[in-house]
Formats: sequence, C-alpha cells, structure tokens
Amino acid sequence: MKLKIVITFLGAVLVSGCSNFLNIAPQNFISSENFFETEADFVQAVNATYAPLRTVYNQAYVMGEMRSDNAHYLFNNSNRGNLVREEIADFINNSTAEPAAVKWSGNFRIIAYANEVISRIDEASFIAETVRQNLKGQVLFLRALAYFDLVQYFGDVPLMLTPTAGSADEILDVKSTLPRTPKVTIYEQIVQDGELAASLLPGKAVQEKGRATAGAAKTLLAHVAVVQQQWDKAENLLLEIVNSGEYSLLADYAAVFDPGNKNHAESIFEVQYQQGNLGLQSTFTYTFLPNLTNLSPIAGFQFNNQSIGGWNIPSEDLIAAYETGDKRKAAAITDGYTAADGTFVPQPFIKKYVHLPLPAPNGSSANGNDNWPVYRYADVLLLLAESLNEQGKSGAAGYLNQVRSRAFDSESALITESDPGQLRDLIAKERRIELAFENKRWLDLVRTGRAIETMNAYGAALKASGKHPNLIPQTYQVDANKLLFPIPFNEIKVNPNLEQNPGY
Amino acid sequence: MRCFSTIIFTWLLSVSAVMAQNRTVRGTVTGAGEALPGVSVVIKGTQTGTITNTNGSYEISVPDDKAILVFSFVGYAPLEETVGSRTEIAVSLAIEDRALEEVVVVGYGTQSQRNVTGAVQTVKVAELTDLPVPQMSQKLQGRLAGVQILQTTGKPGAGMSVRIRGQASVSAGNQPLYVVDGFPLSGDISTINPDEIETITVLKDAASTSLYGSRASNGVVMITTKRAKAGETRIGFNAYYGVQQIPSRGIPEMMDAREFSQFMKELHEENNRAVPSEYQHPEQYGKGTNWYDQVTRTAPIQNYSLTIGTGGEKFNTNAVLGYFEQDGVIINTKFKRFSARLNSEYQFNKKIRMGVNLAPTLSIFTGVPTDGGPFTSPNSGLVTSAQLSSPLIAPVNPDGSMPVTAISPGMLPGPNWYRVARDADLTDRSNRLLATAFLEYEPVSGLTLKTSVNAETGQTFFNNYVPSTSGNANVAMPRASGDLTQRNTQFFTWLSENIATYEKDVDEHHFDVTAGFTVQRYRGDMTNITATNFPNDRIRTISAATSFVPTSEIQEWGLVSFLGRINYDFKGKYLLSASLRSDGSSRFGSDNKWGNFPSVSAGWVISEEDFMQNIDAVSLLKLRTSYGVTGNNNIGNYTYFANVGAVNSGATNNYVFDNTLAPGNTVTTLANRTLGWEITRQFDIGFDLGLLGNRLTLGYDYYTKTTDGLLFNVEVPTYTGFSNFQTNIGTFKFWGHELTVSSRNLTGNLKWNTDFNISFLRNRVEKLGTANAFLGGGTSRNITMVGQPIGMLWGYINDGVYMTREDFENSPQFQTSDVGTVKMRDVDEDGVITVDDRAVIGNPNPDFIFGITNNFTWNAFDLSVTAAGSVGNDIMNTALEYTNNLDGVFNVTRAVGGRWKSEQDPGDGIHPRTLAGTTGLFRNANSLWVTDGSYLTLKNISLGYTMRPENLKALKNVRVYASIQQALVLTKYKGSNPEVNTGGENPLSQGLDQGAYPVPRTFTLGLNLGF
Repeated sequence: MKLKIVITFLGAVLVSGCSNFLNIAPQNFISSENFFETEADFVQAVNATYAPLRTVYNQAYVMGEMRSDNAHYLFNNSNRGNLVREEIADFINNSTAEPAAVKWSGNFRIIAYANEVISRIDEASFIAETVRQNLKGQVLFLRALAYFDLVQYFGDVPLMLTPTAGSADEILDVKSTLPRTPKVTIYEQIVQDGELAASLLPGKAVQEKGRATAGAAKTLLAHVAVVQQQWDKAENLLLEIVNSGEYSLLADYAAVFDPGNKNHAESIFEVQYQQGNLGLQSTFTYTFLPNLTNLSPIAGFQFNNQSIGGWNIPSEDLIAAYETGDKRKAAAITDGYTAADGTFVPQPFIKKYVHLPLPAPNGSSANGNDNWPVYRYADVLLLLAESLNEQGKSGAAGYLNQVRSRAFDSESALITESDPGQLRDLIAKERRIELAFENKRWLDLVRTGRAIETMNAYGAALKASGKHPNLIPQTYQVDANKLLFPIPFNEIKVNPNLEQNPGY
Repeated sequence: MRCFSTIIFTWLLSVSAVMAQNRTVRGTVTGAGEALPGVSVVIKGTQTGTITNTNGSYEISVPDDKAILVFSFVGYAPLEETVGSRTEIAVSLAIEDRALEEVVVVGYGTQSQRNVTGAVQTVKVAELTDLPVPQMSQKLQGRLAGVQILQTTGKPGAGMSVRIRGQASVSAGNQPLYVVDGFPLSGDISTINPDEIETITVLKDAASTSLYGSRASNGVVMITTKRAKAGETRIGFNAYYGVQQIPSRGIPEMMDAREFSQFMKELHEENNRAVPSEYQHPEQYGKGTNWYDQVTRTAPIQNYSLTIGTGGEKFNTNAVLGYFEQDGVIINTKFKRFSARLNSEYQFNKKIRMGVNLAPTLSIFTGVPTDGGPFTSPNSGLVTSAQLSSPLIAPVNPDGSMPVTAISPGMLPGPNWYRVARDADLTDRSNRLLATAFLEYEPVSGLTLKTSVNAETGQTFFNNYVPSTSGNANVAMPRASGDLTQRNTQFFTWLSENIATYEKDVDEHHFDVTAGFTVQRYRGDMTNITATNFPNDRIRTISAATSFVPTSEIQEWGLVSFLGRINYDFKGKYLLSASLRSDGSSRFGSDNKWGNFPSVSAGWVISEEDFMQNIDAVSLLKLRTSYGVTGNNNIGNYTYFANVGAVNSGATNNYVFDNTLAPGNTVTTLANRTLGWEITRQFDIGFDLGLLGNRLTLGYDYYTKTTDGLLFNVEVPTYTGFSNFQTNIGTFKFWGHELTVSSRNLTGNLKWNTDFNISFLRNRVEKLGTANAFLGGGTSRNITMVGQPIGMLWGYINDGVYMTREDFENSPQFQTSDVGTVKMRDVDEDGVITVDDRAVIGNPNPDFIFGITNNFTWNAFDLSVTAAGSVGNDIMNTALEYTNNLDGVFNVTRAVGGRWKSEQDPGDGIHPRTLAGTTGLFRNANSLWVTDGSYLTLKNISLGYTMRPENLKALKNVRVYASIQQALVLTKYKGSNPEVNTGGENPLSQGLDQGAYPVPRTFTLGLNLGF
C-alpha cells in the first residue's frame, strides 16, 4: 500500500516535472528560435554582417599588395611563423596558405550572415518599409562585395544564396558537397545584388556613417564592369557617382587616411575599426611597421613588434616610381626612423596608416584605430578616366588631373597626353601611386593583363639586387596559374567536389 | 541488492541478542597450523566483536547459547560456530577459495563474485597503501587489465589519463565515469585521498555498465569508501616522507657554452653575417649554464592520514583525515591537499536505516605552468623553454640580482626561465564537497526501498599573475606590463535516486529485481578576467590593471532516468541478467530527448555441474557472455541549439558605425535537433578459472565494441559560413583480449603471490564525417582516417640530408631545398617534395599493455614489486621542433653539432645545414622525431616490517616500510617520460611529447600504526 503511494507520488512528480526539466535553455546566448523577432534583432544581424570585414581587411594586404610590385617584406630570421606570407609575396605559396583561407572563409561568413537576413527580412512585416529596404540593401551590398573579392582571387566559387541550415543530412550531404559555380554566374549574381542594393540604399547624406550607401553599391558595380571590361556600363555608373555631388576629393591627401577624419567626403566605403580591446581594433598599422623588438623609436613606447611587424614594406620599385614633387610620397611612405642611439635607420615603411600617437597596445597584441579604405572618390575618378580612355573617348585626362592636381603643387605635373596607349600607362601608374597600399595593385595588374610580365621582371630585379638572399630560384616564376590563388587546402579536404585551380 | 537484505537480517538477530544475559567465551584461532593473530571474532548479527592477539587467542562476551561466532580473516574462509554451552572454542580456519564468494560492487547494488556475469575487476586499496603517490589512479597503474592509466606529467596534483578498453571519442572525452558510494561524480577522483577508499571496482563490459546509460560508454569506476567495522574501534595512522629526484635518463643533452658558441659562430659564417663578439672565441667558454639543472631540484613529499572508526549496535562512524604535501621537482612548484571524510550510518529500527557521508577536500597548487611548448602564453612551457636559453648567460648575476632575459645575439627574445620560475605567482585552489544521505526501508522481507540525496559542489580559484619579468619565447623582456588571469568556477549538482530491490527464492530459482528512477541537475558558473597594463609588478589585483576583459559562462544540464534490472539464477549454476536504463537529457536534441540502454548477460558455472565434481584440480570454471548498449553524453550542454551570438570563433560580431559601437548578433552555429549521445554496442565473452583450490586463478575476456554516432564537430566547408557542425557521425571499432592471472606461488612461511595482467587493445576507424575526410593531417601531427587506427602520427618521412650536390640534383626537392638540407621522401612520387608527401609515420596505440605485481612475506617482512608496461606504441618528440632548430634562435641539442657543413664535412647525415631560408622543412613533423615508445616501468618497490609490540597494549600493530616509486624506466624512447602525452585526453592527439613536467623517482619511508 505504502509502496503504491510512494510510486504514484514519485510518478506524478516525474510526469509534471520531466518535460521542463529536460528543456534547459542556454543562458550564455540566444538560440536562433528566439531571434529575428524584432526590428532590433534584424539591425543587429545586419551589423554582424559587417563584422567579418575587419578580419578580411586586416590581412588583405598579403594577397592584394604584397603579392604585387608595390610591397615586399623584411626577412625575419628569428620568426619563421609567418612563412606563408613570404611565400605568397614570392609566388611559392601552396594551398595551405593561411591568408587565402582567411579571405575565403571571411568573405563566405559575410555571405552567410547576409543570407540569414535576406532569407527572412521580406517576411518581417513588423519592420517599417524604409528601414527594411535600407537593411536589405546593406546586406545585398555586402554579399556582392564579398563575392566580388572571392571571384577575383579564386575564380569559380560555390554560390550560396540561402542560409546553411536543415537536417544533418541536408547540411552534410547537400550543402557540404557543392561544386564550384562558374564565375560568370557569380558575376551575374554580384551585379543582380549590387543593382538591387543600389536601388534600396539611401545616399551618403542620410545613411549612418560607415554603412553601405547607394554610392558604394554603384562604385562596386562600376568596378565589376571595369573588371569585365564593360567600359560603357562602367562609365555610366561612374558618371552617376560623380554627378551625384555626394563625393569630393579632400584637399590634403594625408587627411584621407586620418582616423580623426573617418568617413569623410572622399570616402565611399571603408571598413570601420575602433581602438580598444573589444575586438574592434585594427592591427595592420603594427603589421606594416618594422619588426623591431622595441618599437620605441617609432611608437614612443616600448612594444615588441618582432613577430607582428615587417610586412607590406614599400618596394624600391614603388618608391622609385614616385615623381619628383609628388606630395603623396611623404604621406604614404616614411624613409626610416631614428634609433635609440640617435642614428637614422634607412628602413622605409608605410606611413599612410601610421598616426601618432599609436593607441596603447593590448598587452602583446597590436591595437589600431585606422579604418581601411575600400572605395574612395579618387578611385572612382581614375576608373572613370580609364573607362573613357578604353573607349577612345576624350575627357580621361581631365579626371586623371583632378587626382593629380591634389598631389602636385606645380601645374606642370598635369597630364596633357592624348594618345590612348600612353594614357593607359599613365592611368595605371597613377592608380599605383594614388592607391598604393590600398590592395588595388595586384588585382589591377591581373585585370589589365600585366601581372605576369611585371612580376617576373620585378622578381628578377629583386634577386639581382643581392639584397634578398632568401629568394631561392623557385620564387617569382609567375605564370598564368599564379593569377588565381589556390582553393584553401582544408576546403577541398572536406569537400573533394571542389576542384583545385590549376598549378596548385 | 543482497547487501541490504544481509544487513537487515543481521540487524534482526542483533535485536534479539541484546536482550539476554552475557557470559564469556575464549579460545584460539589457527590457520595452516599456526596461530593467527588479528582474526576478527564477531557475534553474528551484532557489531560486538574482538580480535585475536599475537598468540591467536581471543576472549568474547556472548549473550546466550544461541549466539553464533563468526571468525574471519583476510585470505581465509570465514567460519561460523554456534556457541552452545561451550566456554572455550578453538577453531582452525581454512585458506579461502579466494575472491569467489566475495561481494563486489556493481551498478546500483552488489553481487557475489560467483554470480557476476559481466567483466568486472576489483582492487582492494589496502594492498596499495605503500605507494607514495597522492592519487588513486596512480596507485592503480599496472593493476587492472584493459585499463590504460598513464601519468602524462609529473606535475604535482595533476590528473591522470585513464582509458578503459581503449575507448575513444572524437570530442566527447574518454575518461570513465567515477561513482563514489553510488554517486556519479562530475569530475575525476584526483582530489580524493586514497586512504579514504576501501575498494575500487572497474566495470568494463556493457552488461555491467549499462545501468549508467548515457554516461557509461567510457567504462565505470566504482569507488567504495571506508566504513567502520562492526564491533570494533580502530584508530589507524599512516605517514610517509620521501624525497623525489629526477632520473638522469631522458634529460635532453643540450649544447654547453662552448659548443653553442661554436655553433652560432659557424651559423653566422654560413649565412655571411658578421659574427657577434660573443661567438668569436668559443674556446673561452666552458660548460656555461645548464638550464635544466637550474629549474629543477630534489624535493620532499609527505603524507599523513588518520583514520578513526567505531562500530556500535545502532550507530557506526568512520572518519579519515588526510594531509598531503608535495614540493615539485621543478623549482617553486608545490601541491597540498587537505581532506576529510566522515561516513556514518544509523539504524533506527529493524526496518529503517539511514546514513550520511560528508567529504570535503581542499587542494592547492602553486607554482608555474610547466608543460607545453615555448610559444604558448607567457610563463608557460617552462620545461622545454628553459632548455632553449643561452648557456652563455648566468641565471643569477654576481650581485645576486636576476637578469630578465637569457639570450645571446641572434636568438629569439625570451625571459630568464629561472627567474620566471622564481617570480611565478600562480595559485590554483579548489574546494570540493561531496555529501550524500540515504534512507532505507524494508517494508516486507526481501523488498528494500532506498532513497538517497546526493550533492556535490566545487569551487576553483585560479589566479596567475605573470610579472613583467616573465614571458615566453619571442617576447622582448621585460614586457611593458605584467598581466593577470583570474578564474572562478563553481558548480553544484544534486542527484535524487530512488531504488527498489526485491529478492525472492522459489525452490532453486533465485530472482533479484531492481527498479528505480533518478533525477540529477547540474549548474556551473564561470567567470574569467584577464587583466593587462599594470603600472608595476607590486600591486597585482585586478583593480590595479588599466585594461581588462571579463567573460562569464553558465552551464546547466538535467538528467532524468528510469532503470531496471533482473538477475536470475538457477541452482547457482545458470545465471541470467538483463537490464535497461532510459535516460532523458537536456543535452539531447529537441527531437531526440530519450535514449534507451539495454543489456543482457548470461553465465554458466560449469564447475558446479555434476560431471565436474571429480575433477579436483578445477575449483571454479565459469563461462560468461554479455551484450549491451551504452552511451556517452559528453556532448556539451547546449550543442544542439543554433547559437545567436555576439562572438563567432573568437571574433566579435559587433561593429562600429559613426565611431560608436553597434551591437551585432547573428547565427553563429548550426542547429541539430536530432543531436544525441554516442552509442557503444559491446559484446564480451570470457571465463573465470580457478585451479588447485584457487591457488591459481585466471580470468579471460574477449570484447568487441563499436561506437557509432560519434559526436564530432564535423568540419564543413567554410563556404557554408560555418566551419563545423556538431553531429553524430562516424564509427570507431574496438576489440581486444584481456587476461589476468593470480597465483599463490608459495604459501608457507615464505609467501609469494603473483598478479599478472595483459591486455591487447585494437581499434580501427570505420567512418568519419563529410566525405570521410580525415581528422588532423595537414600540418597537425596526428591523423585519424578511415581504415586505420585512431590518431596515427603524421609527417614527412625523413631520408636524411642531401649529402652531395649530385645527391641533391638527382633527388626530389622541396621548394627551399639545397645541398645539405633535409631530404624528405617523395611519397606521392611526383618528383617534388610538397605538403602532399606527408604520410603516416607512427602508431601511438600500443599492441599490448601489461602489469605484474609480486608480493612476498616472510615472517614480519613483506616485499612488493609492481611493474607496468606498454609495447608497440610510437612517440613523436615534437619538442625537437625547437631543440633541433637550425636558425640560431635557440640553444639546441648536442647532436646538432653533427650537422652538414659542407660536402667535405657532411656530418652525421641526420642534421641538415643552417643556411637561412632552407631550414623550415626540418622543423616540420618528420619520422626523425618518431621512436618506439614501448616501456617497462618498475612502478614501485616496497619493503615493510611489521611489529606487534607486546608491551604496548594500546598499539595493535606497527609497520615501517621503505618504498621506491617510479624506480626504473626501461625504454628506447629518448625523452624522459614514455607515458607522456601533450595531447592530454584527446584520443586523436596521442603520442606527442612537447615537453612535460618530469616524473620523479621517489624514495620514501613510511609508518603505519594501528591502535
């Protein structure tokens, strides 16, 4: 009898308590089932879509600039841990190169975050229409920007337009086994997303600073058109931007990169960083400084930059390319620094992103406040000059000279050349100088078909100089295969359906 | 559940016993023709009793003629005598058929050894008291078949690696479930004082473990703590004091000052660099600083424990107090443990009994992080890092001050590791309290209801202030500021268990049924603060820092279970058992909340059959077999949810707009609504054989098990936006043979017993994640791939050095190869050496492991020798990445002196040249790092002498002993500890040695006193 009572009682406790007992919701995070329920949720999800830009652009210099003839590195005998960066600069990288994996996964993270929003926002009736359009436009722009970066560096890539979710089988057997999508399809998607973004996004004047704008979307579309050599399309888009009056060149070239002056009139889209230890800081400033064990002579405080710095060091070739009287040289590059013992060390390094006093480092980690310029008005003007020139139209020199007149005090520096062939070279050179260390150079060389010739000559000169004894014969053997980067090793390991680029 | 009924039965008798008048009975007890001292004489059914003196005689007061005296002594069969009218009773005890009638602890109950149908092995801790080690698992090394117990580090207080039947999981852990007095712990048993423990029982096969359901796959270790013996009051005091030394074998031979200077001189010359003045005249130096000697020492170890137990008629209680202190053999490392345990039981009336156990412990480690590589966080990896320092630098200046750095020109910046150890300010303190209470009620004969409430709570405080004078490799010294990591963790878990057992005999059929349900809940809270930018090293509290990052976390889980078991035997010959546990867990996916874990087993005691009765040599022959399903629920508490978070893989999702932080949150992990436990299906067949009156006993088991639905973070292509997906996928297969032999070789005045066990363990990967993609590989040092054993060693095959230009030009080359550089094998035969030329270069899984213990007693002397070993496993000495570095950034092993210098002086053909830009490949994992890791370790030798002082009545016995722990290690492995494992518990990352705290040899003197 007692037993029955006991069992009945215990059974009752169990039945009532069981289901709640076994559903313990996490307190450390929100689960996706309870998210995307308010406008604020969507705003946060859109904000998050920007976040991977920080990672991508902190390291983008390796493949975008150091791969080119603009920059090299300081051979760091004491720290071989970043060997892969050297290998990328010297064209001997293989598929395990980490910077390529960072670029790949970072961009795809942007795409995935964007897809989470895009897949839900049309049904989110609780969001005001203007807000909804703005948010949707932003993530469409970011998705297009990410795919554009991927397609230029890797060629064909998988096309992901919906969130990765579903049953285990769906995730593992379908989503994880996709082949690469031909880049023509990727480009179509980029254009489609970009055009929709341009129509949804507000202008710079009303958009919160740092968010994507209609102008940013159009610049992206124009850049895509240039890469595809659709010059008339590029011209129209670029003229729209110029004629919008939303953008203008700053008077002082150095001010363009000043973190005290973020998102200024010349800026079209830049990656936002903020100093501190909240993971919002940039690190590239330290990366571009020499690899001194004590940064005091440059930074004014003690910091060991040995395993951080020494990368993206301006090449002699680039330094020599600056014309006399070009004010941009002093703004972009420092000749060297004065060591503790008072001697001057002639070690050039990038000045563009060095703004003293540097923010205090976080322990042994770098801390920077500089934003990364992705698109700015000078780029638009130079693309416009190029688009006109490539069509044999007049007016190219005028846009070119808008940029040059800021760089030179003397009017004699203005270009009067009218031969399209000559002008093409002048525009390319101008892009190299004006946009130095902004990750334009390598892709410009690739899209203009000059990469192989330029980089082989550059490598030969480096070796001949005798200043780079670490350059073994295999370095700088640039061929067509080297114009694309390998699909990251791990990606193919997990998904053998991804075919590797030739040569890797 | 026989134990309960027995207790109740004896209790009933005792009730009647206390009613009557008392009188005295005396006599002597002999065994094997000699007087037996120390024999327990108890009036059956009571807790009244005595012990025979040195002459084997006793005197006891009995209530009446019906009283039954029970004589019992270890190694002898208990004997019962009804007193009747006798006043003198002399008995002779027969040597027991050992182990067969013993009661063993099984899941949710006990069972007689004879009736056990699963694979179970029990160790009495009394046999292990001489081992001067603080942890129970260390004492068990070499004692258990099928259980691999490794001391991966000599760090005082560090946990041991325990794996039962080679069980492995990709990410859900492989440590067994520890159950203390019926209460499954949330952690391991490293903080429990071994002197509190009476027996350890290891449950290995599915039939014996499956009642623990979703937590049972890794095996179960049942711990029974000491209780007071009936009818006696005992006070025991154990103490030992010892000295620990680092054995000379395995200490890496680094270059001395002269050799290092010569090496650096030649390195600079080869690379056309100006030779710094420090290296220009190597002959000016002698030995210089031996950094290993600088950071190590000989250190004391001591342990004291006091046991007080008293057993009365209604109440018995046992208390154990312990203090252990171990100074580490690395300077400035120390471990202390205070522990107490109080076990009490109270019998209300003949139907109700209750008990309360309380066990608090406090353990404190202070010192410096010692294990791991030189590039980890500041002040860690001391053991390997210190050796990389320059032998040209003295750790202490002539004026007594300590330099902050110990590097010579060209070397990587780094600290003075002697100073790092001296300045270390690390405290790792943990408190733990185990509390259990039960109430037992027997409403009708044979039926027992037991309810228990168990609680465990723990707190850990970790505080590591790393002064600005401490750093790690590649950090300029002193650092701008010290930094602090402070972590507080607390957990609390409670468990309610409600178990009914019913026992019934119907003719020759015996039934024993158990049913119950249990509810458990856990909550853990963690806060962690890392603080940086301290203005100086004097004030070390968080408030002094100008920058800090706090993080916190809450972990909870709940588990509801129903369980049932039926044991049946017919005539004690034919045994059948079946059980089922059903676990509902908050960890399981919302579409997969409940898991069922059944098992069946059967046994046949052939020796009980009539046809066996004439075969005298065979005293026991039992066949047994079992099959069952168990789970592993260590899959994380919230794994099945899709996280929406502000952080993804360590990167924040927040962003900045208009110079203002904009919070970002989005989906950062993939949901898996069907996520579940890992399933292990295990089959076991074995026999127990006793020969010659059980002087020789053998146990054999063959098992095969398959673990399916391995939880792992399947790598998914990152183009999905995620890098992994937690799911149940993948299959490992395990099988093996276990043999135990126990022999009483000599039983006369000189007694000699031998216990031997050997286990052959095998495993194979059957299935992995997406596209069966291997785990590890690439630049990792292990690879787990289908068709191979788990966690194979991975790297290049080293074919020496390109000795001549001709050799170089005619061999496949790496991008950076040159004459005199390392020559790796072109595994894929494509004519060049690339990352694709890595191959399996070793197997960290042993072919077999074994242990042997010999015990001798002669008069008052006893001697015990225990050895344990492993055969066929390979070890990769990954510390060679640093100690064979060719860039002139570290001190290196003496062997690097034999490197290639020119075609005329090509060296030993092993060590390549130091030409800058060519050295990287030699730092990659390669077959030069891999050696056979087989070993035989003489774990312990103990020699004791027991006295029974006649003139000190209070003192029942005195025993003194001397013991050597880790007496001798025989191995081909060149590193110091063949049990090493930098990968820790991760079964996919076994066999790596990045440098660990050396395991010392310990010489101790000990004393056991019994009052």
